[in-house]
Amino acid sequence: MTDKYKPKTWQELAPGGVITEGGNAHDYETGTWRTWRPIWHSENCIHCLRCWVLCPEDAYALQEGQTKAGKARREINGINYYHCKGCGLCVKECPINKKGEKTAIEFVREQT
Amino acid sequence: METKTARTQAITGNGAMAEAMRQINPDVVAAFPITPSTQIIEDFATFVANGQVDTELITVESEHSAMSACISGATAGGRTMTATSSNGLALMWEMLYIAASMRQPILMSVVNRAISAPINIHTDHGDSMGARDAGWIQIYAENNQEAYDNLIMAPVIAEHMDVRLPVMVCQDGFIISHSVETMRLEDDQKVRAFIGEFSSLHPLLDTDKPVTWGALDLHDYYIEHKRGQQVAIHKAKSVIEAVSERFHQEFGRKYELFESYRLEDADRIIVAINSIAGEIKEVVDELRDQGEKVGLLKIRLFRPFPYEEIAAALKDAKIITVLDRSTSMGACGPLFGEINNALLNATHRPLLYNRIFGLGGRVMLLDDVKKIFAESKHYLDRGQVEKQFDFVKVRGD
Repeated sequence: MTDKYKPKTWQELAPGGVITEGGNAHDYETGTWRTWRPIWHSENCIHCLRCWVLCPEDAYALQEGQTKAGKARREINGINYYHCKGCGLCVKECPINKKGEKTAIEFVREQT
Repeated sequence: METKTARTQAITGNGAMAEAMRQINPDVVAAFPITPSTQIIEDFATFVANGQVDTELITVESEHSAMSACISGATAGGRTMTATSSNGLALMWEMLYIAASMRQPILMSVVNRAISAPINIHTDHGDSMGARDAGWIQIYAENNQEAYDNLIMAPVIAEHMDVRLPVMVCQDGFIISHSVETMRLEDDQKVRAFIGEFSSLHPLLDTDKPVTWGALDLHDYYIEHKRGQQVAIHKAKSVIEAVSERFHQEFGRKYELFESYRLEDADRIIVAINSIAGEIKEVVDELRDQGEKVGLLKIRLFRPFPYEEIAAALKDAKIITVLDRSTSMGACGPLFGEINNALLNATHRPLLYNRIFGLGGRVMLLDDVKKIFAESKHYLDRGQVEKQFDFVKVRGD
């Protein structure tokens, strides 16, 4: 865990709990809420980015890539488990999962 | 804007509070007037209508809304005040905690009145004592002069950067709020110089630096925020001492965390809050003339509670009667609980007992106070207290 993600002591908190910076949910761990873990299988993914659009925690990472024809596109590059709280929306809405022949996002019970 | 010079004037406790508010000239006042604090807002509304203050007066539909509007005014970046009593304070309950937890230096005149039921308009301290855990600084006043002086000091205490907490200044309903007494009102400009300019912290109206107030806080952070809040209210004690000393230098009236009235060498002491202290002082003087070693410790600051200082002041007492003008159902009186805690580590623990008096405005006269001192003499002679907890001046005993 980096210092950025280290929980603050009471002395380090702003009086009254005021939040003075935007987007600080980025620094807040919601991964501990998870009881089910989505596992992304790159070999079955068609990079439609539906999971990235739907994810409420912005846990899907993107990278620059290209199609088989050589056209530039954005591609999924895995799941940030610091933020993923295991809601399963990606698993349910994945078009590959829906077809049922293959699984692009698997949903497994967290090991405690 | 016209300014008034210092003067001695016959005025009610409520009128004095309105005068203090006029001098403070807050940015926002939100109010839903309730007996017996009504005149404070009536007078202040006149000041607004006459252009004697720059205040935005917001008339709301309930006390819950009044405190909500105060919190909004304060987080927006303004100096904010209100006044209330009794059930009005009770209706603010949720928002009192939010004001304190969000560390907003809101100022409130509380005119103490009994809480329903049965409905009653007269004084006791059930309203503000019920709010004692809300995180507000609580300062109590014996008479209109003290109420006025405390309210002048309140913004300096509340807005101190080590504190940043709301303050309620309490006085007894009708006995003080509606009684005309001669008192000193200070010079407007001198008061304003004493108080200084309001400086806001992270105001919502500073749109170049957007902030969030009142965000979610779960099991992983809530207790850290409460820890910090507890430290802030403890720090208020030394700030109040310093502000009171500066007030003394500036205006000549001296205030400490509590008042020690003829406590040196006193064997029998009454501890009490607010207007009853006037009667007790009268009786203490009379009994002292007869050679009885009696005294009064009058509470000024109830939150934060000055445990060590009070323990030191009571260290030589032989018997202490704690008078509570409210009762905690199923427990001892709230003041008694604190005095008992203060004496936890006392080397010589005095005899200590609790009397509940004056609920719903039941009048206490000099003879009633004399009876209380006579009882403590009886207990001291016998070396033990027969009734640890009792009501006084109640029919049926």
